[in-house]
Amino acid sequence: MSLIKQLWIAIIALLLLSFIGSLAISITTSRDYIEQEVRIKNEDNATALALSMSQLDKDLVTLELLIAAQFDTGYYRRITLRDTDNSVLIERAAEEYSGDVPAWFRQLVEFEVPSGIATIQDGWRQYGTLELESQHSFAYTSLWRSMLELAAWFLLAGVISLAIATVIVRGIKHPLSRVVTQAQDISARRFTTIKEPRTLELRQVTQAMNVLSANVHKMLSHESHKLDELRRHLQHDRVTGALNRDVFMGKLASQLNSEDARSTGMLVMVRVQALENLNEQLGYAATDQLLSTLVTQLGQLDNESAEPMVGRLNGSDFIFMLPLMDDVEELRIQVMAALAEVAATQPDVEVYLPTAIVPYAPHDERGTLLATLDDALAQAESLTSFEQVVVRQRKRISLYSSHAEWRNALETAILVGPELAYFPVVDAHGDIIHYECPARLLLGGEWQTAGVFIPWITRFEMEPALDLAVVKKALANLQTDLKPVGINLSAASITNTQFVNELRTLLVAHPLLADQLCFEVPATLSTHAIGSLRGLCTALRPLGCAFGIEHVGAEFTKLADLHDVGLAYLKMDSSLIHQLHASNEQQTIVRGMATLCHSLGIQVIGEGVADDEEIACLFRVGVDGATGPGVRL
Amino acid sequence: MPASSHHSPPVFSRRRFLATVGALWLGAGLGIHSTPTAAFDPQRLRQSMQQQYGQAGLAILEEWFALLQQLQNQDIQTKLRGVNDFFNRHIRWVDDIQVWGEEDFWATPLEAMGKGQGDCEDYSIAKYITLKQLGVTSQYLRMIYVRARIGRSQITQAHMVLGYYSTPDAQPLVLDNIVPSITPASQRTDLDPLFSFNSDGLWAGGSSESRADPLARLSRWRSVIERMQTQGFI
Repeated sequence: MSLIKQLWIAIIALLLLSFIGSLAISITTSRDYIEQEVRIKNEDNATALALSMSQLDKDLVTLELLIAAQFDTGYYRRITLRDTDNSVLIERAAEEYSGDVPAWFRQLVEFEVPSGIATIQDGWRQYGTLELESQHSFAYTSLWRSMLELAAWFLLAGVISLAIATVIVRGIKHPLSRVVTQAQDISARRFTTIKEPRTLELRQVTQAMNVLSANVHKMLSHESHKLDELRRHLQHDRVTGALNRDVFMGKLASQLNSEDARSTGMLVMVRVQALENLNEQLGYAATDQLLSTLVTQLGQLDNESAEPMVGRLNGSDFIFMLPLMDDVEELRIQVMAALAEVAATQPDVEVYLPTAIVPYAPHDERGTLLATLDDALAQAESLTSFEQVVVRQRKRISLYSSHAEWRNALETAILVGPELAYFPVVDAHGDIIHYECPARLLLGGEWQTAGVFIPWITRFEMEPALDLAVVKKALANLQTDLKPVGINLSAASITNTQFVNELRTLLVAHPLLADQLCFEVPATLSTHAIGSLRGLCTALRPLGCAFGIEHVGAEFTKLADLHDVGLAYLKMDSSLIHQLHASNEQQTIVRGMATLCHSLGIQVIGEGVADDEEIACLFRVGVDGATGPGVRL
Repeated sequence: MPASSHHSPPVFSRRRFLATVGALWLGAGLGIHSTPTAAFDPQRLRQSMQQQYGQAGLAILEEWFALLQQLQNQDIQTKLRGVNDFFNRHIRWVDDIQVWGEEDFWATPLEAMGKGQGDCEDYSIAKYITLKQLGVTSQYLRMIYVRARIGRSQITQAHMVLGYYSTPDAQPLVLDNIVPSITPASQRTDLDPLFSFNSDGLWAGGSSESRADPLARLSRWRSVIERMQTQGFI
């Protein structure tokens, strides 16, 4: 039985006990008192009457008058005068007064009062015996009334006590249920922290569990930072902090092939001209500083990603990938300003930074893109003007020519409803964990992938509408084909209160299907978004929904902040998976990440797996699932 | 078999101790204590006498026990005479104020015998109780308030005698201490009866137990009955 229930039973039992006890004591005491008083009255009155009769002539009429006077002016039930043979000489009796007292109460109380008896003297002789009974039925009425008053008072007191008890029990119940929830969270490896309750015992429990959560958080952030250092060491150029050529190329390839929004954007290539001359003029240290500044400045142009995609292709060539950017002219101005900043750090020397800008779109060939960039860069080098920036506009087949058209088309497409693609995610035995389901929208008469429409969706802030439409579609598909699906939610959606409410309503209406849904959010989450995610998880977990994070690469250090969210899985970015079997260090990183995630009860899934070798290696280092072009059923 | 675990002896914590003491005190306060059982108890009488009047009192008490023994199977006239003579001989007649320091104190037979002196009602009570003990039921006995003229003078005095009624409407025999011999009431012209009473009605429902109510002590008659119960007479 729950503690709260026991408390209630105890309170009610105590109230009833005190009520019945008080009532019983009160009635018994009153009854005894009344009995005693009536008995004394009987005796005294009998004696007094007998005393006065003893002094009078023993004339029957006189005696009858005396008895009648006493009887008529007082409260008597019966006065009897018997002679010495016990035969009745005079008797006066009144009817029983019943009043409005219930019969059961009379029977319960039932006064037992002996009648008063006194003997009348006639000289030395006894004349007779006087027996007298008072009318005590009135006592029943007054006792009944006092019992009713007492009961009424107890009812009032009971109601007040119960009200107070409700407040007290609630004061205990709320912190208690919080503590219970926290304990359940921790047992499910969600290391949550709660406000300490005021109750001493609960506070101690909470303190202990909070300390446990804090320790887990500390351990996680420590371990994940170590892993991240290892990753940086492996993937980044030591001087400038830019990505190595191979890593960048891998990332570029996977972005171009990916289905999501980041497969549209701009590539910027910057060449530091006459690097050797600079080295001679400035010295190595200053030159390194200059290159480092260049990478930082370029990286600052990307305020979307957690880690900007800047790569160093060789000693003097730097490449910068800016997803989701589609305004070439704006970018050109931003790039020129950034480069001017870089040049300004070394005012003593001439720094030439010829630059090429090329937009990219889904399914572009990497080689073609790089060739275009090289060509443009050569042209930029040949420019003698101060502005050495060349932009290669590619012939892009834009579906719509104006913003208004895009908006209308997107609104219509969302209204029509998206279509879902199904990409399997398998575990080590080849069994399906779930299907990744990126959305397709019907635009321009064709089903277009996310890379085409997501930049516009973002621009028009239509993410919540799209995500909701996708969830509806997924639920509709689940009606006919019950297989677990993973749906992407954007950070903009999960921070939107209205979206969260609508999603919840939608899922509550489909309780049987909800537990087939996994929601994935991109790893590029702000602290605010993490808070929203935590709230969303707490709200939807009871419905059976699972939550995951996708594209986790450099953001792995955030895992420590996600320790109390209760994630089901984490998808590792393809840049960490690419050519996994070929690099021991990479395997160490992935194994470390898997171990850390498992300590939180989180499954780890590798993204963008290309071939069987990668799959085999992935499962060998302890990853739970794989997805990507290499995964076939 | 698992090894038997060693229990430390139960520690009587201070809180538990206080709770027990409190409960006992409360119980005592609420009157959960035994009342002395009311019955004729020679042993208790001896104890009471020993405590209050010492050896001298005890001697008279033993004589009284002997009297009870001796009169047990005698006829009523012998019983009346024996009892009347016993108390008239052993108790000196004085006013209450001298003996008890009170205007009108009703003494129990034990107190009267212990002191060796008493007032008119002390004689009557002692004779009444002794006769009852000898099997004379209270319907035959009545304490009678009388107005007494002392000697040939016109001085009257409030007095009390014990009357024996062979039938309820008969002339009683008067057991008195002014005139030591038992005489029929008609011959006692010096006495003027006013009112009489006995212990009927004091014991409700025929039980010999007086109700232990606090108000009982307010009446003199009740008070003396209470004291007789504690001393062991009834």
